[in-house]
Amino acid sequence: MSESSPSFLERHQFVIYRLFSLSGLIPVGAFLAVHLLTNASILAGDDGRTFQSRVDMIHSLGPLLVPVEWAFIFLPMLFHAAVGFVIIANGLPNVGSYAYVGNVRYTLQRATGMIAFAFIVWHIMQLHWLGKPFGGGKFDPHQAASTAATALQPTLTSILYTIGILSTVFHFSNGLWTLGITWGLWTSPAAMRRANVVSIVVGLGLAAAGLGALGGFRSLDVSKAREAEVWTEKQKRALSVPGGAVAPSPIPASTH
Amino acid sequence: MIKAADSAADLVHGAGGDDHGAARSVVRVRVLRQDVAGGESYWERFEVSYEPNMNVISVLQKIAAQARSQDGRKVAPVAWDCNCLEEVCGSCTMLINGRTRMACSALVDRLQAESGDEIELRPMSKFPVVRDLVVDRRRLFRGLEKVKAWVPVEGSYDLGPGPRISPEEQEDAYPLSECMSCGCCLEACPQYTKVEAVRRDDESEADFEKRRKSAFDTGFVGAHAISQAVLFNAHPTGRMIADERMEALTRQGGIQMCGNAQNCVAVCPKRIPLTRSIARAGRAATVWALKKLFDR
Repeated sequence: MSESSPSFLERHQFVIYRLFSLSGLIPVGAFLAVHLLTNASILAGDDGRTFQSRVDMIHSLGPLLVPVEWAFIFLPMLFHAAVGFVIIANGLPNVGSYAYVGNVRYTLQRATGMIAFAFIVWHIMQLHWLGKPFGGGKFDPHQAASTAATALQPTLTSILYTIGILSTVFHFSNGLWTLGITWGLWTSPAAMRRANVVSIVVGLGLAAAGLGALGGFRSLDVSKAREAEVWTEKQKRALSVPGGAVAPSPIPASTH
Repeated sequence: MIKAADSAADLVHGAGGDDHGAARSVVRVRVLRQDVAGGESYWERFEVSYEPNMNVISVLQKIAAQARSQDGRKVAPVAWDCNCLEEVCGSCTMLINGRTRMACSALVDRLQAESGDEIELRPMSKFPVVRDLVVDRRRLFRGLEKVKAWVPVEGSYDLGPGPRISPEEQEDAYPLSECMSCGCCLEACPQYTKVEAVRRDDESEADFEKRRKSAFDTGFVGAHAISQAVLFNAHPTGRMIADERMEALTRQGGIQMCGNAQNCVAVCPKRIPLTRSIARAGRAATVWALKKLFDR
């Protein structure tokens, strides 16, 4: 059965599982929160100007953005997903026999983890420049609001985004609660209940931000947003890229 | 005294409900049987006469006495484990109507009120079946052995009296000491999955023993063992080997395997605060791992 010497994963199971737990909060969960709150700025009602300025802030990292993305977002996420699939494969959900709230959450945590993984892969392919070879990569940081809004217009896309956002947010906020137990932050049933309230509030807040952003993009007036972006682009050119701001788009501003 | 007993019986009757009047005269049972370890399992139905205040053990006793299935065939009596008959020994765990619990404290009246006429009995699903409802819970005890769930007092000379334990510590520890190794927490745990080692023809008993032990150790150690580790790490004398317990709890199959489904605490017949123990062990493991990393 297990006569072969234990694998690397087996010998370092404790450390790997703890890093898995931690990575769900830092950096993956922290990124999720920042990402959803940034997107929610589309609700400012200024044709995406606030959102564009937030995007500019992120892209002010310039060429550093790529290693930062890989080190703090993609690789931790891949690690979390890989270990997560091992954990899912080793468990045997039994919510049919024991329909306790905790057990339902255990099962949902695994289901939403898998949904979130599929959604995030698709989301990256659809909007991030990594998806360009596959006909995706529709998001243009110079035309942040209008390109995002255009990509999110199809009804099916919106439905899938709603499922994806809710799954991801549930997975994060429920994971926040279990992380506290795993590391021994909250140990008594009463403390777990209090932490649960906090996790639910965090979850509802992020769900509101995520779904609000989705609604904001869908109801955005794309042509007005495009006008605003052209105007912003002209301003940047006129100011000849002040320190920290994004480089001007190579696309001539008069295309629209 | 007799009067009190009578009224207690009335209470049970009341809980049973009179709408099951039709089921009153007989108790129908469906048992998942298995003749030998590793053999095929099959369902068999039984019917025994009803008596007030029956529990599942008394139903099984009647089945053994009549040794006939519902359709009148002569069959071997159903095998099961039991001992104390008062929910303190932990030996009669089985799946009753799909849920893990003690057969001795499962009252027929309540079972019929909950889920109708027929009672379903299955052996625990996380341990290898020996025969019918009897399972081999060796892995459960291996878990206790792994975390050294005892106070080390063996020695060649008198160690003298141990340190005093404050009433507060006693109150904290007492619920954990109520564990009777029934295995309900393991049966209900989605992270504790069955490990069944089968002896090979060319294998000696000792070799098989060794292989089985290491197979057990790859799986989750279980809530019961974690809670016992917490109990003995809180004991002033037991604490002397606290590091060895932490080492065991952070090895493969250790506390990290917990998935926080919290079924263990929900099904524990002794209402042991298992999730509190797991969280405390989690905290201890955090501290222990950091110490290991920085203090060496």
